[in-house]
Amino acid sequence: MKLLALIKKEFHRFFHDPRLIVTMLLPGLVIFLLYTVMGEAIHAEPEKDAYKVYVQGEAPLITSMIEMAVGEEGNTVEWLPLEDMDAAKKQVEDGEATAILIFTENFENFLEYGADPDDFVVSVVYDPMDDVGSSFYMLSTALLQQIGMKFTIQAEPLVSEEHIGREIMQQILPFIIVCFVFSACMSVTLESVAGEKERGTLSTILVTSAKRSHIALGKIIPLACISMLGAVSSFLGVVLSMPRLMGVSMGMFGGYRFSAYILLFLLIVSFVPLIVALISTISTAARSVKEASAYTSVLMIFVMVISLVTAFIPVLGDWAVVIPVLNAVIFVQQLLAGTLPVWQSLVSVGMNLLYTAALVFAMTKMLSSEKIMFGK
Amino acid sequence: MPEEIVRAEGLKKTFTLSKKQQKIEKTGETRRIAVNGLSFSAYRGEIYGLLGPNGAGKTTTLRMLSTLIRPDAGDAVICGHSVVKEPAKVRDEIGFMTSELKLEGFFTPDYLFDFFGAMHGVEKGILQQRKRELFSKFGIDRFAEVQVKDLSTGMLQKVSLVISIVHDPSVIIFDEPTNGLDVLTAKVVTDFLAELKAMGKSILLSTHIFSLVEKICDRVGIILDGKMAAEGSLEEIAQGDLEKSFFDLYYSIKGETV
Repeated sequence: MKLLALIKKEFHRFFHDPRLIVTMLLPGLVIFLLYTVMGEAIHAEPEKDAYKVYVQGEAPLITSMIEMAVGEEGNTVEWLPLEDMDAAKKQVEDGEATAILIFTENFENFLEYGADPDDFVVSVVYDPMDDVGSSFYMLSTALLQQIGMKFTIQAEPLVSEEHIGREIMQQILPFIIVCFVFSACMSVTLESVAGEKERGTLSTILVTSAKRSHIALGKIIPLACISMLGAVSSFLGVVLSMPRLMGVSMGMFGGYRFSAYILLFLLIVSFVPLIVALISTISTAARSVKEASAYTSVLMIFVMVISLVTAFIPVLGDWAVVIPVLNAVIFVQQLLAGTLPVWQSLVSVGMNLLYTAALVFAMTKMLSSEKIMFGK
Repeated sequence: MPEEIVRAEGLKKTFTLSKKQQKIEKTGETRRIAVNGLSFSAYRGEIYGLLGPNGAGKTTTLRMLSTLIRPDAGDAVICGHSVVKEPAKVRDEIGFMTSELKLEGFFTPDYLFDFFGAMHGVEKGILQQRKRELFSKFGIDRFAEVQVKDLSTGMLQKVSLVISIVHDPSVIIFDEPTNGLDVLTAKVVTDFLAELKAMGKSILLSTHIFSLVEKICDRVGIILDGKMAAEGSLEEIAQGDLEKSFFDLYYSIKGETV
């Protein structure tokens, strides 16, 4: 009953203060707008494109039609004979060439009566991450589709879109998740724990017969729930705006199984309380919000460094699952790559809960310490 | 023979002085004894006043009794529970009010009364009845839904008082109960203390105001330098003039003029 009253008090404090709700949910909206605007600016179409396309096989009719269509849009196209496929692909990857068109032998015989469309294939090799390559691909395939269904168009993106999407997410999302979880936890926890201590309102609760462990849990449980809201808001802001920022389609986010989202949810459910417990413990030890905020800022830098470690050391041993934060980063990376072993996900979640329990214990001890609570 | 409700035996508390405190007080000592072997008893249905100058150890004593801090030596038993061994049980028996303990400005008196009632495990029906009685008695009912941060100092003090006794404790500990109050609010508080006494509650208060002690205390303990300099009934201690008796004692012990 006492624990429930403590939990309800924190929720009441948060949900009856419009300012707190706004400050918690606003970051997500701001991130969405900011990233979208940035994405629009980065990926704005250039005025004119000069396409440089390698061609293998003979298809003068098709190439001249493409040339006309390209010209109508004020662009130009330069046809180059394909001599070395690997070198040409390298040029496309490097952005030095726009695309490669590969026509099967006697391609234009498709015009003959009774020709089988499967015998006439045009392959378009392009780099979907390159704006010019993508625009040429879209323009040329649209034109080819208009001509009719008497041949087959085969897209050969150098890297699959889903793969690109996953690559981007693998690199950026773990860092972003950790940062947003941390800042969401920080914004509510510092005020609620260090603020209450500084104002003397926490001492008033200490005079009641409520157990110190209940007081600690009465802070950590509701603050973790509230922080999750903030983290989810920021996370949604990123996920919804990232395709525009990266210039790729939303479809790349749909390539994950439902179980991946469940595992991600489990991670967040174990990771947010850990961070809240960590900041709560620091806030309990600190004498003021200012002091707690200084300590937490240092901790945040440390956490950010840990979350970037995997970018520099891609392969870490199994021991990494016992390191808080690092295990969360590896969890998200491997989850996105589809290589997360079940044992590892369970150990990571278990370790987070274990660390949280240890921090609740530490906070309980601190609440019982007159040196910490009353500075004597 | 009145029932002994509070028994303090050899309470001792020492604090470490920070470099800053040493500099301010121009002293080289690193430790300061705030309370030095204090013993006294308070009985059911009486108001016991701890009288002494600032820094004598009154507040530290009350904080040890309320289990906010732990004595370095000695113990106190309140309603049969040791403050050292059973602090949670002691907290259920006492109501502690001091300017050090604050109420969160965001909440209303109504919400805080319910919250602290739940913290003390008071049954809902009893809690609502008590709230009606106490809020009406202190005129809080009109401000029940006003955020604490918007209350006047006097009303805030009344709300703090009411919340400190939300669980109807047997022992009420007040640190400087009338400090900072206007005359009207101070009278409401002192009248209520007398009422609590009439209800059989035991009240321990600390003060440096002679008139307050003379008006409401049954027994007095004079604390000087953390030690009990004199203890007895108001008549025994005051001998007709409490202020004169206090300073006679003060000079005899300290050997200096104020």
